[in-house]
Amino acid sequence: MIIPRPIGPRLWRGVGLAAAACLLLVYVLAPVAWLLSSSLQTEREIVSIPPHWIPDHPTLQNFRAIFATGLGLAPAPPGADPSGAGFVPSVAGNLLPAMGNSFIVAVAVVILNLLIGVPAAYAIAKIRFRGRSVALYAILATRVIPDIALVVPFFLVVRKLGLLDSLVSLIVTYLAITVPFSVFVLASFFEQMPDDLDRAARVDGCSRLQVLLRVYLPLARPALVAVGLFAFLASWNEFLLALMFTQTSASQTLPIIVAGITSDFTVSFSFLNAAGVLAVVPPVLLAVIFERYIVSGLTAGAVKG
Amino acid sequence: MALRVLTHDERAASGLLAGLVAVLMAVTAFPILYSLWISLFAVNLRRPNRMPFVGLDNYANVLASPQFWESVGRTAIFSAMSVGAVLLVATLVAVLLDQDFPGRRVLSACLLIPWAIPSVANGLMWKWIYDSNYGALNGLLLQLGFISSAMIWLGDADRTLGLIANAFIWKEVPLAAILLLVTLKSIPADLYGAAAVDGAPAWHRFVHVTFPALRPGFLLVALYEAMMAVRHFDLFFLLTEGGPGGASDVVAWRIYVETFRNLSFGTGAAMSYILAIATLLMSYALIRSMARQL
Repeated sequence: MIIPRPIGPRLWRGVGLAAAACLLLVYVLAPVAWLLSSSLQTEREIVSIPPHWIPDHPTLQNFRAIFATGLGLAPAPPGADPSGAGFVPSVAGNLLPAMGNSFIVAVAVVILNLLIGVPAAYAIAKIRFRGRSVALYAILATRVIPDIALVVPFFLVVRKLGLLDSLVSLIVTYLAITVPFSVFVLASFFEQMPDDLDRAARVDGCSRLQVLLRVYLPLARPALVAVGLFAFLASWNEFLLALMFTQTSASQTLPIIVAGITSDFTVSFSFLNAAGVLAVVPPVLLAVIFERYIVSGLTAGAVKG
Repeated sequence: MALRVLTHDERAASGLLAGLVAVLMAVTAFPILYSLWISLFAVNLRRPNRMPFVGLDNYANVLASPQFWESVGRTAIFSAMSVGAVLLVATLVAVLLDQDFPGRRVLSACLLIPWAIPSVANGLMWKWIYDSNYGALNGLLLQLGFISSAMIWLGDADRTLGLIANAFIWKEVPLAAILLLVTLKSIPADLYGAAAVDGAPAWHRFVHVTFPALRPGFLLVALYEAMMAVRHFDLFFLLTEGGPGGASDVVAWRIYVETFRNLSFGTGAAMSYILAIATLLMSYALIRSMARQL
């Protein structure tokens, strides 16, 4: 005889899970939704009390202004009345070039991370050599050093080399905050791969480099994607070093321009939020699309770290 | 000098490691040593030609300054609030994501959004939420009737640190939850089985099985978040610039002010060094104290 299971506890469990999931979703998304909503409001609407959670008259005027001035299609109107409806602050034209700078820096840092990180991680994971543990400890130690402790020496050296206000200074110093982590994640990934692959290929006469390129690299694609994403996001989001080294739009990255807008009292609130949205969209898209790679990469880096 | 002959493998390893060694030397080891050197001089960019050697005077001055110790206190409060709240919220999130329910994958993808957002955009977003005139926080609380008139959030010295910590926590919870979830997944199922046979209620299972098993995860997350909180700069720059009246003047902000506003590079370097050493000691002490409980 089949005894029907009591539905009570299971139902409550389902309700509890649904409530908790909704609560978490609201916690994570509400601040971002408010940022997005604010970026789509007119200047008149955004100063309404109580706030309009969903804009009555959504407008893309801020984004149109950013792209029109950024692409040189329209000059930034100088000093119009900030309370006016169509006011475009003069910094609007700096956002797209800054985005370009951020992109160049981030891509360069990703490439260098892979070029430096892959061979080093392979050596640490697969070759027994004297000083291997020293290399590991050195990598771990760099992660304990606060980035702000590197700012003073970096600034003096960069200034002496005449590299202030250049993208090169950002690319090189960002290696300090990205390479150790990349090596760590890659090394823990390589370590999980069987050593037999290595031996078999070398019996066939492959050099270490050939083994790495032909055997491990094709298998390591998920780790390469994860490490590339981490380096890209870290560079795209970095603020402190860029604040020290950049001075003009020749090298200013997106966070610098956005921070300037945040503290500029003449910029309208809706434009401020539009600038925020512009900085948020690329990294968030990358993170959501490549969620699986990121989670497995973070896990690999953490379990070892 | 007797150089040991490198084995074939070691020659290969040194070639493969050359790039890493060069990077670590150039952008980590050298700056750290150079910083130590600078901290022994009275370097002020307002007087670029006079750089007298002062030995440990910069350190003595920093350690004797009440202003510095006040900023240390604020850093400790900010970090304690942040680490505690991140651990609590992340544990709840991890336990939730450990269950099987429809939409779990969408939820965990959304969870990465705060992690991915640039800290500058995070600062902008929360500054606007806390805005005393048109911000969402006042708007929401007024509409719900929790407050009767608009509050000045960040401008209130008693609330500033907590509000900045809230923005920090929001961004840090996802990573912490992911790390704790890994630990949860590694708990052997038969541990739960044994508890179920005993007829233990769910909360009992959590306290006696899940919680102890999570300890290594707690250690990792607490250590990492404490390191991040103690050095955090971006939100302080964006939200309050150390204000109001020094209420959010933490060590990282102090280093910035000494270095780039007062242009005393020697003092800034000495403070950075103290912060770096404190971070090292803290991570060591934290590992030790938590390892003893394991």
